[in-house]
Amino acid sequence: MIREAVLTDLQKIVGKENVLNTPEGLKAYSYDGTTSWQHEPDVVVFPKTAGEISEILKLANKEKIPVTPRGGGTNVSGGSVPMLGGIVLVTTKMNNILKIDKENLSATVEAGVVLQDLTLKLAKDGLFFPPDPQSFLGATMGGIIAENAGGPACVKYGVTKQYILGIEAVLPTGEIVNLGGRTLKNVVGYDLLHIFISSEGTLGVVTKAELKLRPLPPAKKTIMAVYADVAVAGESVYRVLENGVIPDKIELLDNWVINRIEEMAPMGLPKDADAVLLFECDGIPETVEKETEKIVEIVKKYGASDVRVAKDQAEADKYWMARKAGFAAVFGKAPTVLSEDVTVPRGNIPALIKKIKEIAKKYNVESCVLGHAGDGNLHPSVLTDMKNKEHYERSIKAIDEIIESAVELGGVLSGEHGIGLEKQKFFNRVTNPVVVNLMKGVKNLFDPNNIMNPGKIWD
Amino acid sequence: MEDLKELKKIEKYADQCMKCGFCSFFCPVYQEEKVETAVARGKNYLVRQALKGEQKFTPEMGNIIGKCLLCKRCVANCPAKTQIDRVVVGARAQMVKNKGLGFIKNFAFRKVMSNRKAFGRYVKMAKAFQWMMPTTEGKIRHLPDFLKALGAGRNIPTLADKFLRDVVQRVNKPKNGKAPVMRVGFFSGCAMDFIFPEIALKMIDVLTNHGVEVVVPEEQNCCGAAIYFSGDFETGRMLAEKNIEAFKDFDYVVTGCGTCSSTLKDYQKYLPDTEDQQKRYEAFEKKVKDSTEFLIDVLKINPEEFKLKKEFVGKTATWHDPCHLVRYQNIKEQPRAILKALKGLNYVEMPNADMCCGMGGSFSVYHYDLSKKIALKKMDGIKTTGADIVVTACPGCMINLIDNVLQNKMPQKVHHYLELIE
Ligand SMILES: Cc1cc2nc3c(=O)[nH]c(=O)nc-3n(C[C@H](O)[C@H](O)[C@H](O)COP(=O)(O)OP(=O)(O)OC[C@H]3O[C@@H](n4cnc5c(N)ncnc54)[C@H](O)[C@@H]3O)c2cc1C
Ligand code: SF4
Ligand code: SF4
Ligand code: SF4
Repeated sequence: MIREAVLTDLQKIVGKENVLNTPEGLKAYSYDGTTSWQHEPDVVVFPKTAGEISEILKLANKEKIPVTPRGGGTNVSGGSVPMLGGIVLVTTKMNNILKIDKENLSATVEAGVVLQDLTLKLAKDGLFFPPDPQSFLGATMGGIIAENAGGPACVKYGVTKQYILGIEAVLPTGEIVNLGGRTLKNVVGYDLLHIFISSEGTLGVVTKAELKLRPLPPAKKTIMAVYADVAVAGESVYRVLENGVIPDKIELLDNWVINRIEEMAPMGLPKDADAVLLFECDGIPETVEKETEKIVEIVKKYGASDVRVAKDQAEADKYWMARKAGFAAVFGKAPTVLSEDVTVPRGNIPALIKKIKEIAKKYNVESCVLGHAGDGNLHPSVLTDMKNKEHYERSIKAIDEIIESAVELGGVLSGEHGIGLEKQKFFNRVTNPVVVNLMKGVKNLFDPNNIMNPGKIWD
Repeated sequence: MEDLKELKKIEKYADQCMKCGFCSFFCPVYQEEKVETAVARGKNYLVRQALKGEQKFTPEMGNIIGKCLLCKRCVANCPAKTQIDRVVVGARAQMVKNKGLGFIKNFAFRKVMSNRKAFGRYVKMAKAFQWMMPTTEGKIRHLPDFLKALGAGRNIPTLADKFLRDVVQRVNKPKNGKAPVMRVGFFSGCAMDFIFPEIALKMIDVLTNHGVEVVVPEEQNCCGAAIYFSGDFETGRMLAEKNIEAFKDFDYVVTGCGTCSSTLKDYQKYLPDTEDQQKRYEAFEKKVKDSTEFLIDVLKINPEEFKLKKEFVGKTATWHDPCHLVRYQNIKEQPRAILKALKGLNYVEMPNADMCCGMGGSFSVYHYDLSKKIALKKMDGIKTTGADIVVTACPGCMINLIDNVLQNKMPQKVHHYLELIE
């Protein structure tokens, strides 16, 4: 529990109205997007400036109170759950888009800006920020940077770290620092910026960011390829890419997902297909046309049983709606869903998919796969019910084995959600102790008293 | 353990939520407050904790579930189809059941009463209007609420010199003297009765012009929106029974108030306690039609047949979707079809046409400042259209839009779509 005096100090720093410690308020900040992790903080604060955050962190550092930063609370790794209580520091009231610089294709934003708000604003200037976590309606820029998020468009555009030029951050000891800068090139000493990106809130609080933008592509086209075998679909992914076409998105839905979507909201997806791939090409119209033709040709050659090119935006929107409905369909279908974000080198997608099916069979659990196949990032999911102990334990075993298979296939534990609490046990198992120690050393350097989001990643 | 009967009824809706946080983008309340307890996800979580016995019905809990417009924007955009409106109303009902009606109200009113200025104005208002209460006693238990809603420093449309009930004929035959194509019951609702009787008369006029016989049953009561949405299911059920009885002889119940039509249709969702009630309320739902829906879908009038009143010729109009039409009843094309077909009127769509105006029934009484902030976004949308008039089909929205247009010194006039029709 936090002392009364600390509460008073916090109220002095951010104002009474920006300190929340009612039992109801604390409950509302005890969770994130995961099912399995919950813990109440002692107090929630809503700072508005880096200066306030600096004061809060100095206080916490002196009192050795854990501080967990939180943006939209949409992460699915347990990252913003305050496992040791203390302060939850919420950035949602720091949500100003400070500058959009069309000339330099960059923007300056506060950490609490929600991605969709930014996207809408940028679109007015014909610009966009390419990283597109599918939580864009709730995720904040701070959270996106802290998790190095990425979504479907990463096949072509890459992930968050490729689009952050610099940040302003507050260190756990209270100093306000600028890492990186505003230029495209920057080789001034160690790249501390990129240590901070994907640090999951353990090194400090991002308060501002300088983003790299791109002009909105003038044309887009969507292609749906239908497969009788999900592994063949997996093969098509790298066949397309090795043949020199880089679509901005390649998404995969398996038979189970297709059918749940069709039950929820019929969109005319092929219900007996084992899988479909959705491609999107973007760029200047001529290129998009050529790339579309090429994709159609390649997927046909490598085993697609049917290929549909969306004739207009309305049809394309329908397919992407289906993709978006995908995870809702999965989550709505069982009381508890264990969903992973393992990522393998693209060539191993078919092998991983086969493996997932075998494992699900072995443990007799219902499973499905959807995901950003274009970058090898799959979301294998197992449906279970936490209240059914026996089934739940079996499902955990299945998902553990799926993760291990992915790693064996040359993949990584997490493609986009981070380690947080969800993947700690694997992290410690598969990471070289020398590397873990290096990370701990970095942490200690930034945060000598271990107040910043303690209990995460390797703890 | 506290009684959880009402919560149990909505448990399955609450369980749908997977905590993705998408609703935060759509919730007008969260967009202003940026605090988790304001958004659907947070409310839903707390209700689930209550179901588990881990959260009590504290005053703060009352405040949290009270701070919801029931605008259903979260519901419309929730990938898991979580029905937060039902969860919130269910929780309010449980709270009223366990703690008594005064509890929620008293607490909510602390907001008004703790503000001396607002309170003073409110008392003055209540006093000024007290004279009318005896004449309407018995049918308008929620009227004090309604007056308070008008009281907290707002621009108030003056009460009509003569209420609808004093001037309307009980039976209105078709104008053409022919046998009626249909006989419908007209549900007036309190706003039409006390503030906009001329709109109600206009509607009767439009219907009788199209060969419909319109009966205005005296036995009808308030729809009950303000009452059962606050969780007073008992009174709500009483009103439902009375209204169903009052309209038992008609195939259709038609109203010009979006909130009324939706509220009457939704008796079946919230109020039934027995299977018999469920069946009867469902049957009643099928009879209820909003006027826009009735004209276009039931009477199948070609929108081209409507003529624009002279005074509006050459004006530019934009449409505000009342939550109770667009999301509760999925009515969005019908009114637009009418407006677009009116020759001489220039129609422009506003950017956030379906966003709540901030009224949310008694929400705006308890949270007037917040309501104004929400309305400000609506006003921005209206401004970008350059429209002369804002058109809608819910008196509640009209009252709020009028207030906010004036507060923001905007030139637009607010009208019910029926006022535009010759
Ligand atoms: C339905 C759904 C779909 C998703 N899709 C994707 C996807 O496609 N790709 C993807 O990468 N992720 C995805 N995610 C995961 C999640 O949305 C992202 O990790 C997102 O970046 C989190 O942002 P947030 O603002 O919600 O952060 P939070 O959840 O609040 O926090 C995430 C982490 O960042 C830290 N943090 C937050 N703000 C700051 C700050 N200002 N400074 C320092 N640390 C901070 C927190 O301590 C925590 O460790 C998805 C989640 C959901 C629920
Ligand atoms: S959008 Fe729906 S599922 Fe997601 S958090 Fe909100 S209510 Fe829950
Ligand atoms: S109904 Fe409206 S106000 Fe209530 S939680 Fe949903 S979006 Fe927010
Ligand atoms: S919804 Fe409003 S206008 Fe309609 S009857 Fe009820 S209180 Fe009156």
